[in-house]
Amino acid sequence: MAIIGKRLVKQVKTTGVKATIAQRADDAFTRFTSGLTWGDVRGVLRGDPAPRPNPRVKPHTEGFWFHIRPTFYHEATTSLYPTFRLGFLSALFFAIEIITGVYLMIFYTPSPERAYSSMIDIITNVPFGMFMRDLHRLGAEVMVIVVTLHMVRTFTTGSYKKPRQFTWFTGVVLLMVTLGLSFSGYLLPWDQLAFWAVTIGTSMADAAPVLGPTVNLLLRGAPDIGAGGLLRFYLLHVVLLPLIGIIFVAVHYYKVVRWGLSLPPEMEPVGEDNARKVPPEKRVNFLPDIATNEIMYIAIAVAILAVSCATWYHAPLETHSNPLVTPNHTVAPWYFYWLQGLLKNTHIIPILPTDISTVVDRFFANVLGLTPKILWGIIIGPLVFVLLMVVPYIDPNPSRRYGQRKIMLTLGALFGALILYLSLAGIPTGVPVTGFGYVGGAPAAEVAQEFMPDEGDGALMNIPFDQMVVGEYQVSPDAGVANAPDLNAVLKEIYYDMQRRMTSADPNGRKLSQDAVAKVQIAQIQPDLKELTISISYTDDQTGTPQLYTKFKFLHKNADH
Amino acid sequence: MALFLAETTGISVLFALPRFREGEFGGKITVNASDFPKVNDPPVANNQGKFWMVTTDKGVLALYKVCTHLGCIYAWDNLADRFACPCHGSQFQEDGAYIAGPAPRSLDKFAQEAYNQAGKLVANSDDGSPMPLPSDAVIVKVNTGKKILGKSHF
Repeated sequence: MAIIGKRLVKQVKTTGVKATIAQRADDAFTRFTSGLTWGDVRGVLRGDPAPRPNPRVKPHTEGFWFHIRPTFYHEATTSLYPTFRLGFLSALFFAIEIITGVYLMIFYTPSPERAYSSMIDIITNVPFGMFMRDLHRLGAEVMVIVVTLHMVRTFTTGSYKKPRQFTWFTGVVLLMVTLGLSFSGYLLPWDQLAFWAVTIGTSMADAAPVLGPTVNLLLRGAPDIGAGGLLRFYLLHVVLLPLIGIIFVAVHYYKVVRWGLSLPPEMEPVGEDNARKVPPEKRVNFLPDIATNEIMYIAIAVAILAVSCATWYHAPLETHSNPLVTPNHTVAPWYFYWLQGLLKNTHIIPILPTDISTVVDRFFANVLGLTPKILWGIIIGPLVFVLLMVVPYIDPNPSRRYGQRKIMLTLGALFGALILYLSLAGIPTGVPVTGFGYVGGAPAAEVAQEFMPDEGDGALMNIPFDQMVVGEYQVSPDAGVANAPDLNAVLKEIYYDMQRRMTSADPNGRKLSQDAVAKVQIAQIQPDLKELTISISYTDDQTGTPQLYTKFKFLHKNADH
Repeated sequence: MALFLAETTGISVLFALPRFREGEFGGKITVNASDFPKVNDPPVANNQGKFWMVTTDKGVLALYKVCTHLGCIYAWDNLADRFACPCHGSQFQEDGAYIAGPAPRSLDKFAQEAYNQAGKLVANSDDGSPMPLPSDAVIVKVNTGKKILGKSHF
């Protein structure tokens, strides 16, 4: 202390108080910026050209945050093409998820007794709770999209090729972390959607021979999902997966600094990589150009996300989980539709005629112990990721040019088309023409499910509360209920939906009988509560007997379902 | 190094595996014979023991409520006269036999025993097959600790 004091006194004596304060402040500032003086930063902000020698590269060697970013980019990689900044956006959304996630953690308790009420608390009582949850949820969905697009881009421009094979590998790990984070986060609200999506997911592990049941027990913490499973998924979601994510983001970023951003394919001689050999006149320094550019991207992305959550987007929350009832049309999250589609395969070789297929299935099951469930869920599903990981190591073509990679690009497009096809098969309506993946009961029940689903939104429930005029209405193209245009529109919609089901059979070959009649009843139960009932009378197509199907739901005036 | 890794993994797995007390899962659930539906009537759910109570012309059955495919709770579809799973569309007959869909086997069943009022064993189904009931006055004990896997259709 005494030494510092002596130095200070000496400095004040020689240069004066004002200059000393300025000098000391600038020192502190320079330490904070890892090497940039206030004058340098001012130059950056003013858009001055970099002086020589360039002090703006110092933070890249001195500090951590700039050390994990390249010092300069090739000017050809700075416009939207070829990167579309998707890698940066992936990292940005990861950061948004961490920040909003920590906020949500404060108000959340991972126990079956408290989890759902925590959610209700967050969306009703906690200041900005609903906003934070919406940001977290929408951010997660967008992150899956951005990460996927980032991979599609990297594949298309051939940027996974030498020397970036390992960068691609870590990218696939990050894709798996992203999907794992989304999936483990799914369970936490402890609603029906959560419970059944995760039951299916962990049951898939169970199907694996030998190790399956043990893995399933490890994940669920018990034979069924309960307190143990919720806690385990919570820990996966907030500790293990983010940790793996951060480690691999670090490796991924380091590799980007090490090898540079790959140039657009057409700019490089085949088989060469010149990303690090940038002539000085083609260099765009990270500070200030790239940095300010990224700040703009952050501002735009956050603004779009925030405005969406403040206006049209609300994260869904279904009814409290019920281990005894699986809702109709239970589906996985959309980015796992392809896996759900895969799992609907009933045969080892799906395209064979049924008779031959049965024989083939028997052979595989009895001789090799391979059932369709094991093949599609345990082998093919994870194999997709393994395949992605090894792509750079097995692709023999050194060229990155589009014209010279026709086979690989075609295979990539086919892979994308297959994933889309399987995703279609994953949803309950199945694939339009082939009908593969269709999950449905009696046509009448499907009509009710369409307009008043077990969980989630349906057209009947979205009629404004004041237009739900008490009464009983037969569905028709022109119901003519006074002052209720939305109700009339839905009655018309149901009418035409039934007509369609009468004329064309569903993929199970079932039609709604011609004499089917549907009614919608609306009753006032309490001052702000109405009961909606849809009843369909029809003749059963299999037994020929008259049947009546009814389904009801209660709707509160302020319900935001 | 490999040995060390294998040991660490093994210990972590053992540490993370849940522990159960004897009899924590599964047990003998007591139901009255009169609780079972009549023949041709829809099955009755027993939520305590997580099984469906079914009566066929051969006797009564206790079917585990969980789909043999991926663990969803299948439901009785009264209109189609069959069990149907809402997740991946597997279908089963009232007696649990596989009809269609990706499920690898018929529905799982529980072993049952029937006792008369005096507490004497009057009927027994160790393999979960339909158990004929001598009268409506007996008590049926469904052993949910003893799950009999359904027949594979492969």
